[in-house]
Amino acid sequence: MPHMHISPTNQKESKMKALHSWIILAATALAVPAVPESMQAGDKLKVVTSLPDLKSITESIGGDKVDAFAIATGFQNPHFVDPKPSYILKLSKADMFITIGLDLETGWVSPLLNSARNANVLKGAPGYVDASENVPLQQVPTSVNRGEGDIHIYGNPHYWLDPALGKIIARNICDGLKRLDRENESLYQDNLKKFNNRIDMKTKEWTAKMLPFKGTKIIAYHNEWVYFEQRFGLKIVDFLEPKPGIPPSPSQLAKVINEMKRENMKVIITSPYFTAESADLVARNVDGKVVTLATSVGADESIKTYFDLFDYNVAKMVDALK
Amino acid sequence: MYRVKRKAVYFGIGLILCTTANAQQDSTATTDSLLVELQRQMSPQLQPQQAVARSAPSTNPDISAIGDFRSSYTSTGSRKVETYLNELELQVASVVDPYARAEFLFSFGKDLATGDLGIELEVATLTSTSLPYQLQLVLGKFKPQFGKVNILHPHYFSFVDFPKMISNYFDGEGMFMEGLSVSWLVPVDFYQEFVLEVGRVGSEPNASLVQGDNDRLLYTTHLKNFFDLSDNATFEVGLSALSGPNHYGYSTAIAELDLTLKWKPLQFNTYKSFTWQNEVLMNRARISGTDIIHTFGAYSYAEYQIEKRWFIGARYDYSGLTDNEQQKEQAGTILLRFQPTEFQILALQYQYSDWNYAKGVSQVALRAIFGIGKHAAHAY
Repeated sequence: MPHMHISPTNQKESKMKALHSWIILAATALAVPAVPESMQAGDKLKVVTSLPDLKSITESIGGDKVDAFAIATGFQNPHFVDPKPSYILKLSKADMFITIGLDLETGWVSPLLNSARNANVLKGAPGYVDASENVPLQQVPTSVNRGEGDIHIYGNPHYWLDPALGKIIARNICDGLKRLDRENESLYQDNLKKFNNRIDMKTKEWTAKMLPFKGTKIIAYHNEWVYFEQRFGLKIVDFLEPKPGIPPSPSQLAKVINEMKRENMKVIITSPYFTAESADLVARNVDGKVVTLATSVGADESIKTYFDLFDYNVAKMVDALK
Repeated sequence: MYRVKRKAVYFGIGLILCTTANAQQDSTATTDSLLVELQRQMSPQLQPQQAVARSAPSTNPDISAIGDFRSSYTSTGSRKVETYLNELELQVASVVDPYARAEFLFSFGKDLATGDLGIELEVATLTSTSLPYQLQLVLGKFKPQFGKVNILHPHYFSFVDFPKMISNYFDGEGMFMEGLSVSWLVPVDFYQEFVLEVGRVGSEPNASLVQGDNDRLLYTTHLKNFFDLSDNATFEVGLSALSGPNHYGYSTAIAELDLTLKWKPLQFNTYKSFTWQNEVLMNRARISGTDIIHTFGAYSYAEYQIEKRWFIGARYDYSGLTDNEQQKEQAGTILLRFQPTEFQILALQYQYSDWNYAKGVSQVALRAIFGIGKHAAHAY
């Protein structure tokens, strides 16, 4: 081993190195006193969903075997949820992640999953559930150009607004739960059957209430009601947004006012996360009504479940159209 | 020490988990004749429809290009008006395999002094996706996790220019690094992330740091703490530190503290928001056997979204220099930003800069950011 001569300069350098080591150590020490997380919640599967509708269906299928958390709230625009680090924390501990898919959450799910450090919930893993699997899609574009606004390349992603498609969502979730928890497979299957029966029963009720208004022409703020429209026999003629995602322009509002007067349309449907000015302006000009429908569970205090969502929306529509 | 690090990496990679989905199907079709009839009457087109084929499968990566055009008027100098394409960023990113994803970012930038267009590989990273113990490993060339602004690429920062403390202590676009980054999600009840990085400063030296010609490496560390104050408000406090070789053949150590408050109403988050961000940086640079320089820099900015597409902002900058205790710079900036869509941003900025050794300068700058293709979403 070579003999080391410590010169004054070397001594100072050594002190500098020691200082640098202290800086690194100090920052490390701030992280180390953290209290280790204990394993909790018994046998429950920790499920994180992008939207509260998926949480509600998960709870219907999983019952007391799941502990579900929804990232977005019911009154939030599902295209624009902020990917807060606190959601990363939830995903890092999750057994399952359920997404609407079809690029609906493209701006916020990928940064969350990329930082979650949880291989079990990444695409391709057993804990990743794309609720849109096998959903018959509407408005699948044949070509895509951003000049047309926010076009979804796979098709319109607001499919959960048709209760019949809720059965496909439920089946996808049930498949995911069975993959992770074989022990309770029959429970999940039974719950799926109950969910489907209830959807069938309630859909009869909802469609019967909407039957008198079949073919009624209406206006919507944003192109997110195609599945609801087709299920309940409405006809959305135009939108307040000139193109998806582009705020209403004066010329578009004038066009819509003319259309509504010409066709004697009286109802404009909008969502909780759009400001009311444009819709109110149009409604005033045509002596019409603005109906704020719920886009998700939790949009209104009374909407606790996926079934409540359609109870609420059907009641609102019947009230507006009668 | 290197052997230990290598073993740790091998250990982490060895524990990577890989599983595949096993989709199952079941049949839950209803047989209720009344329901079938009602459904047929209400929306006949939905019943016979089969699942539509999604887009054709492809292994092509996400590719995006972002242009950054600038035009400015400065109150002094022989050439007061500038108009130029500051940068074109070309990003290519994709999942590599079940264990990692990769990102490459090329910058085609203009050298204002020479007018030449140069190409630089700014980012080339391999990021793990499945390490155990809440760890994530990044290797390659990247922007180190030092503070709040340094990690950003210019197109994602609200103001036309980076804060003076970033440009004076590092570079106009911040600091780049080639090396290894390990981050750990600390298991506590709130979001706490600890990052440790080691390597050398990116291919070009910055104001404080050089690659060096010996085994002295650049170390950076960052501790991020994030709190939800309410559904609408968040608070973040971060601590960073770095140590690395400087231009004088010695070492520079810099410590940093950042505080960020954000407010965004959940229901109308595309219409209103407010951000108040602050950073302070303390520099300790040895420039000779006997001389050590202590300086500091700081900034504070606030930005308010007044409408869906309009933002206003203001910033105050104070900055020393990395190797001079006498010279100081201050600047005040106001900003108006218009964002017609997520893919286009227009910003108009007025800035008054003042130095304690030179006459103050006013500058009006216009910036247009425009992007095409599929660009990876930014972190919060």
